[in-house]
Amino acid sequence: LHFESDSTAAAAAGLPQVSTSLGQDIPFCPMTPMTPVTPVTERSGIIPQLQNIVSTVNLGCPLNLKFIALQARNAEYNPKRFAAVIMRIRDPRTTALIFSSGKMVCTGAKSEEQSRLAARKYARVVQKLGFPARFLDFKIQNMVASCDVCFPIRLEGLVLTHQQFSSYEPELFPGLIYRMVKPRIVLLIFVSGKVVLTGAKDRAEIYEAFENIYPILRGFRKQ
Amino acid sequence: MYQLFTPIFFSCCSGDALALPRVTCPNHPDAILVEDYRAGDMICPECGLVVGDRVIDVGSEWRTFSNEKALKDPSRVGDAQNPLLNGGDLTTMISKGTGAASFDEFGNSKYQNRRTMSSSDRAMLNAFKEISTMADRINLPRNIIDRTNNLFKQVYEQKSLKGRANDAIASACLYIACRQEGVPRTFKEICAVSRISKKEIGRCFKLILKALETSVDLITTGDFMSRFCSNLGLPKQVQMAATFIARKAVELDLVPGRSPISVAAAAIYMASQASAEKKTQKEIGDIAGVADVTIRQSYRLIYPRAAELFPPDFKFDTPVDKLPQL
Repeated sequence: LHFESDSTAAAAAGLPQVSTSLGQDIPFCPMTPMTPVTPVTERSGIIPQLQNIVSTVNLGCPLNLKFIALQARNAEYNPKRFAAVIMRIRDPRTTALIFSSGKMVCTGAKSEEQSRLAARKYARVVQKLGFPARFLDFKIQNMVASCDVCFPIRLEGLVLTHQQFSSYEPELFPGLIYRMVKPRIVLLIFVSGKVVLTGAKDRAEIYEAFENIYPILRGFRKQ
Repeated sequence: MYQLFTPIFFSCCSGDALALPRVTCPNHPDAILVEDYRAGDMICPECGLVVGDRVIDVGSEWRTFSNEKALKDPSRVGDAQNPLLNGGDLTTMISKGTGAASFDEFGNSKYQNRRTMSSSDRAMLNAFKEISTMADRINLPRNIIDRTNNLFKQVYEQKSLKGRANDAIASACLYIACRQEGVPRTFKEICAVSRISKKEIGRCFKLILKALETSVDLITTGDFMSRFCSNLGLPKQVQMAATFIARKAVELDLVPGRSPISVAAAAIYMASQASAEKKTQKEIGDIAGVADVTIRQSYRLIYPRAAELFPPDFKFDTPVDKLPQL
């Protein structure tokens, strides 16, 4: 902390002014912050962007897949290959797998709200075809996010120190697979500095995992 | 007339829990008998009387060298045991009969039951045989085979990978053993001697590391140089130059994110092209198991700084500026 003798600059910064015995005004900066925040040097300032959300919902009634495939637009059904109808909508650009039991998997959305909206749209399509569709137990099963730390990383060093969590086999995959324990998240870390986080049920888990890994990655920055 | 009473007494000890009579020397009942295992005798140390005989010989099995032309040594009772790996299999197998009496009227052998030896270890023995076959194809030494067998035994007993094909687990154990001994083989080399796909071996490899809670060292470019260069028939100078080039390239970080095998192949290409024995990318790709476009990619990354990558004492057959530019 350095105290500016120029009181106007300090006043412009919004800090309260305290008069000293010499008549100067110095800003009142407490040594400890009022509210507990992580220091600026430790926060990464990077927010991982969500790329894919996988969610499931139960439509609550058995479905006739052949009928759905014939009547609905943008639906494909090949029972010899896979036992579900694959339907796509354009608005939140998503794909749904609709099973004959009435359960549905919705993939491809970029946010939780979009995933829920898309699932509702699929349920509406099924409802319009004449089935008594409901919207039970919507649950997000997996969230994938990616971000860039903007510096190259020494993966060999990382695998040496974090052996019990990392797996780096250049013959099998060019990235390091880091299985974090505390939020149970798998991170794919690449030499270029790009990081992919997956396995989260919640957005907060992704952010927490990234905040945990960022200082470690900073320690293995390539010079 | 005096009657002589011959007292009859049992030589049994009062404090012993056992009721078995011990042999003792009749003259020295308190003497502790010395066992001579070679002759199978129990000798009294006081007077030298041989008290017990035909005691079972607990010494090691001996060979008779008298009858050299006999191909079968009749004093041998069986194959060398492998007690560490087999769980102490002491069963006796009955072999097929050889005389005429052992076959019934249709020509089938009468005694057929020699199949059920140890069903729990049968799969393990099969796997050991498979490991031995695979290792023999790439001429691996005994220590790697033993290590592989040990790893397989540990994984098999743990049962955490029970659903996987035993051949896949055996191939992955072979890969891990080569790595642990400091002479790694690429996954493709293990694939070449196994019927399992590289993907499955890779999966089993990761599962085994997790199950046994071990880890392996990272592969480096130098691990493969001697094998690839001798398979290509390159002289020692070229091999040393290629090792130096690859190490320097990794140190200078010219090839970030590239597999060490690809970097090694590109280094061999550069070293061989600068020497008298020039090898094509296709030849090197065949030996190393990398595609020639991959060698081309890595070569393009190291080519700009070729002059500083060569060792200082290298004799150039083709100077650095005349190296092929792809």
